[in-house]
Amino acid sequence: MQSKLSDIALIEQTLAGNQQAYADLVKRHQRFVFTLAMRFVKTREDAEEVAQDSFIKAYRSLSAFQGNSKFSTWLYSIVYTTAMTFLRKRRLDTDSIDDEETYIQIESKASGYDVNNVENKSRSYYLNQAIEQLLPDDAAIITMFYQGEQSLEEIGKALGMEANTVKVKLFRARQRLKEKLERNLKHEAKELI
Amino acid sequence: MNNMEEILWNYIDGTCTPDEHKAISDQIAKDEAYRLKYKELLNLNKAFMAMEIDEPPMAFTYNVMEAIRTENAQQPLKAAINNKIIMGIAAFFVLTIVSVLVYALAHVSFAGGSHSTPVASNLKVPDLKSFLSKPVIQVFFFFDVVLGLYLFDTYLRRKKVQKEIQ
Repeated sequence: MQSKLSDIALIEQTLAGNQQAYADLVKRHQRFVFTLAMRFVKTREDAEEVAQDSFIKAYRSLSAFQGNSKFSTWLYSIVYTTAMTFLRKRRLDTDSIDDEETYIQIESKASGYDVNNVENKSRSYYLNQAIEQLLPDDAAIITMFYQGEQSLEEIGKALGMEANTVKVKLFRARQRLKEKLERNLKHEAKELI
Repeated sequence: MNNMEEILWNYIDGTCTPDEHKAISDQIAKDEAYRLKYKELLNLNKAFMAMEIDEPPMAFTYNVMEAIRTENAQQPLKAAINNKIIMGIAAFFVLTIVSVLVYALAHVSFAGGSHSTPVASNLKVPDLKSFLSKPVIQVFFFFDVVLGLYLFDTYLRRKKVQKEIQ
């Protein structure tokens, strides 16, 4: 059962040496942190690694959390930097893989859907499929705005951008997502959305 | 078209000023193209909001806490030991040595005789047997037992916290 204490109260307890309080914080935020990690690294195994590293880094620097922003905003900024470091390292390890090429591969794999099964698949499935085809930054902004319920200012803080830049990026990301969705579903898109 | 979408998204997100909000409301009411686009974007917005988030593996929290525990356990002994304990032990020994030195110097008779007399014969060595009396030994053992109980209690508390986390 998850604790009903606020994030701040759980942080204070953690800093006082109660590790169970931090376990409660992890339980509370793990689903969204994992989803956000998935937006960057695409596979569940890598996302688990990024999410786990993010929580460990957050634990290490918990005493540095000032409380000026929401804990979730602070945590998402750690997820973002951890994912970026992971991708950079991965890019160094697999030098031959080009980003664009990777996304084209993902896209072509995703567009091979079975038309007959369209009605059996939920709107959420197609949306998730379309979001996977977006660039990591676009996918992360959409996820933080809709699933993370973060304001433009908070997303800006987490990603190190101005709120206005986030607003423009969100607008473009939504347009791209709509295009992907329409391309994947063709005629079914209008019925589903 | 893009401009219309941008305006409508601002309206849906609530990021426009009250004046802009009113102007867009009027535009939607009187312009069919605006109304259709608004309806389309509103549906899309609802779909985005209803998107499900991924579920991490069942053991995710356990794995994170296990990694943190392992990391803490791998800390060097120097970092794991409380500095206050080290300082306390150091203070105890420094105080003991200083006390012994002061006591010894206070009992040395410097008004000896001629240079030919050996220095050792003028020294009054304190009788240590008088310090090892029964009450002193009892206090020493009592202190040891209290210290032992305190350390045992700390160990049990740590075990309890670890059990709760698992």
